[in-house]
Amino acid sequence: MSNVEELPRETLAPSEYESLVSIGENALEAIPGAVYLCDREGWLVRYNSEAAELWGRRPELGVNGDRFCGSHRLFLTDGTPLAFADSPTASALSTGVVTRNQEILIQRPDGSRFVALMNIRALRDRRGVIQGAINCFQDISAQHAMAEELRRKSADLEDFFENSAVGLHIVSGEGIILRAHKAELALLGYSEEEYIGRPITEFHVDEPVIGDILNKLGSGDCLENYPARLRAKDGSIKYVSITSNGRFEDGKLFNTRCFTIDVTCVHAAEAARQESDDRLSATYEAATIGIAEADVDGRLLRVNDALCHMLGRTREQLLAMTFLDYTHPDSVEQDATLYARQVAGEMDSYVLRKRALKLDGEIVYLDIHSSSVRDASGEFRYGVRVLQDVTLAQRMENQVRESERHMRNVLEALPAAVYTTDAEGRITFYNRAAVELSGRTPQLGDLWCVTWKLFNTDGSPLPHDQCPMAVALKENRAIRGAEAIAQRPDGTRVPFNPYPTPLHDADGNLVGAINMLVDITERKQAENRQKTLIDELNHRVKNTLATVQSLAAQTARNAEDAKDGDRRFEARLLALSRAHDLLTKRHWENTPLDALAKEVLMPVFGLEPDRITVEGATIDVGTRVALNFTMTLNELAINALKYGSMSVETGTLSVSWDLQPQPNGTLLTLDWREQGGPPVARPEREGLGSRLMKRCIERDLGGQFDMTFAPEGVCCRFSFLIGA
Amino acid sequence: MPPFAGVRVLVVEDEGAIAMLIEEMLEDLGCEIVASVARLATARDEASTAYIDLAILDVNLAGERVFPVAEILRDRGIPFLFSTGYGTSGVPGEFAGYPVLHKPFSESELLQRMTLALRHRAST
Repeated sequence: MSNVEELPRETLAPSEYESLVSIGENALEAIPGAVYLCDREGWLVRYNSEAAELWGRRPELGVNGDRFCGSHRLFLTDGTPLAFADSPTASALSTGVVTRNQEILIQRPDGSRFVALMNIRALRDRRGVIQGAINCFQDISAQHAMAEELRRKSADLEDFFENSAVGLHIVSGEGIILRAHKAELALLGYSEEEYIGRPITEFHVDEPVIGDILNKLGSGDCLENYPARLRAKDGSIKYVSITSNGRFEDGKLFNTRCFTIDVTCVHAAEAARQESDDRLSATYEAATIGIAEADVDGRLLRVNDALCHMLGRTREQLLAMTFLDYTHPDSVEQDATLYARQVAGEMDSYVLRKRALKLDGEIVYLDIHSSSVRDASGEFRYGVRVLQDVTLAQRMENQVRESERHMRNVLEALPAAVYTTDAEGRITFYNRAAVELSGRTPQLGDLWCVTWKLFNTDGSPLPHDQCPMAVALKENRAIRGAEAIAQRPDGTRVPFNPYPTPLHDADGNLVGAINMLVDITERKQAENRQKTLIDELNHRVKNTLATVQSLAAQTARNAEDAKDGDRRFEARLLALSRAHDLLTKRHWENTPLDALAKEVLMPVFGLEPDRITVEGATIDVGTRVALNFTMTLNELAINALKYGSMSVETGTLSVSWDLQPQPNGTLLTLDWREQGGPPVARPEREGLGSRLMKRCIERDLGGQFDMTFAPEGVCCRFSFLIGA
Repeated sequence: MPPFAGVRVLVVEDEGAIAMLIEEMLEDLGCEIVASVARLATARDEASTAYIDLAILDVNLAGERVFPVAEILRDRGIPFLFSTGYGTSGVPGEFAGYPVLHKPFSESELLQRMTLALRHRAST
């Protein structure tokens, strides 16, 4: 404020101070501003009401009143307290310094503050001695606050402009870059000099794009994320997104403000994503395995060509169904259950071989690899299913399995014990016959042999690890011609021939062995039987020879003459021979008695049905009975032919027998009755025939023999027990 | 004087015709036939009780073996010999030392085996 200075100074008396003091308060009131006056000591001597209003108080005047200033308190503008003695007024009094437009903070008694703009000058007398001071001040708080606000806003704007992460430039209506801030320069790598002042078109890669931008802005349109490409200093191309509008003055484009966002990274990421998508998509389609995506319910969301081909269905057909719809009924439940568990998160993935139906009904085998795509929170989004057609492999596997099963069936059905081992001799398979032969159920993994204990043919123990199978495996060669004896846990023994044979894979490596144990018990028994038979035959031959020897000796001793002896011996020998014939026919087993009787009588008498009757119940007899019966009947027949009823043509013979069951067998009683022969007389001494017959019936068969020489014909009754 | 005059013999033979032959041979040798039996049961009875010096045992008696009779005789210290059509193999080890007659046999063979059997007794 210059009003103080403009006070008249040419008045020599009184001085300025004196004049001011003398003009009275009303004059001060006239001054448009707050004014106060201090004396030389600084004591306030005058102030106007505006000053009092600003101070918010009315200070004491004069000595011991307010000094230097009438305010409650003073501060520097930075808030530092300012003592009244240090105030500009005090300085003016002590040094005569003039204060111009100094800002001091004044605090009122009520605590409120304001910025005071102070103008202070010392008042001197004519000699220049300081008599007092005048302070004109005004409240500039409002201006101060506004300026502060402006300054702050400007700084903010500058800061925003300069430090914004978004590139920003201003282009004139003519397309010249007026201003560009740091972020934009950094983005493109230019210095201010290289960028500012240049036409914006120079930096755009695509001329049509910047043309379009400028056109749009020129016609008042706003640009919102307009994609463009800028050329950086290093030659690289920056993808940017421009948001801009024009500033018009007087209806004319004044300039444009452009926000440039570097989207190179985003663009690159997008491009990469696109490429990845393209590639994934291409892979998806080019894959020779089936790929499908399915929702929670298994509905197909996406399928590739391979899957369509695999199932013989079109994409449209597949996308209208769930994967269970084409699954074979036998596999539906399993796949559905597994998928539900996968969707529920109980399992991450699963692998399944299942059967599926093509549109034409053909069955295909698919290997399913099912997994899930989940969002960040783990929620199921969709299922990914990779499918491989394994029909061929499965078919081959089935064939192999079938062939294996067939082989096993064959092995199982073989009447010989068969088992297999791996290369280490551990049993991997055995059939029922093996269980029967060994008398035990072998455990898979047992070593070398299915049997419980083994013995050599001489009875010495044969350790399993030395058995023919062990040798075959250890020496990698088939063993033939071996024989051993297996002992079952129940103690019974089985002689057998083993046929251990090594098994090789396609490369000729030893992979195991198969062994067949042929039970030769029957052969051994047959051998024994044969031996017994030969022994028996030998025995019979020897016994027969002894019998012949006896018959010859006896006959010779008892014969009337050599011719008679010869004839009788011959008859007896032939009877014996016929008995043997009969037994041979019957394999030395049971023979029917009636056949035996006829066989004995026929050769002696010839066919004489009218004269001879043979009758009796049918019964089979053993060899011993047959031989003795034959011998007896033969002796009777020879006698009948030579001396009895059969020696004449009118005589008859009746042979009949009767069977009676007994507690210990069947009692046979035979009656031999001759009639119509020459008169019979009892012989003087017992002949050889009688003695032989008695021997046969009484001694050998333990029976009874009775012969009566009745005049009308010989009667003989003998009986013995059959089956005793 | 027959070589075995008064020697008392038991004949066990299941075939009558052969028994007759043996009996006649024994009679020729001066023996006395105490009994001639065909079955195992009667043979055992005779072997247990008869007063005899020697027994001739057919190995096979209607399918049964004569060895129980041999045991009885051995226990009684009575000499015996086997007659068989089986050969030596038909006689078990425990009777291996006893003379065996192989059918058919001659009277001289019988005499020889009887001599052996009786000597065998004398030496024990």
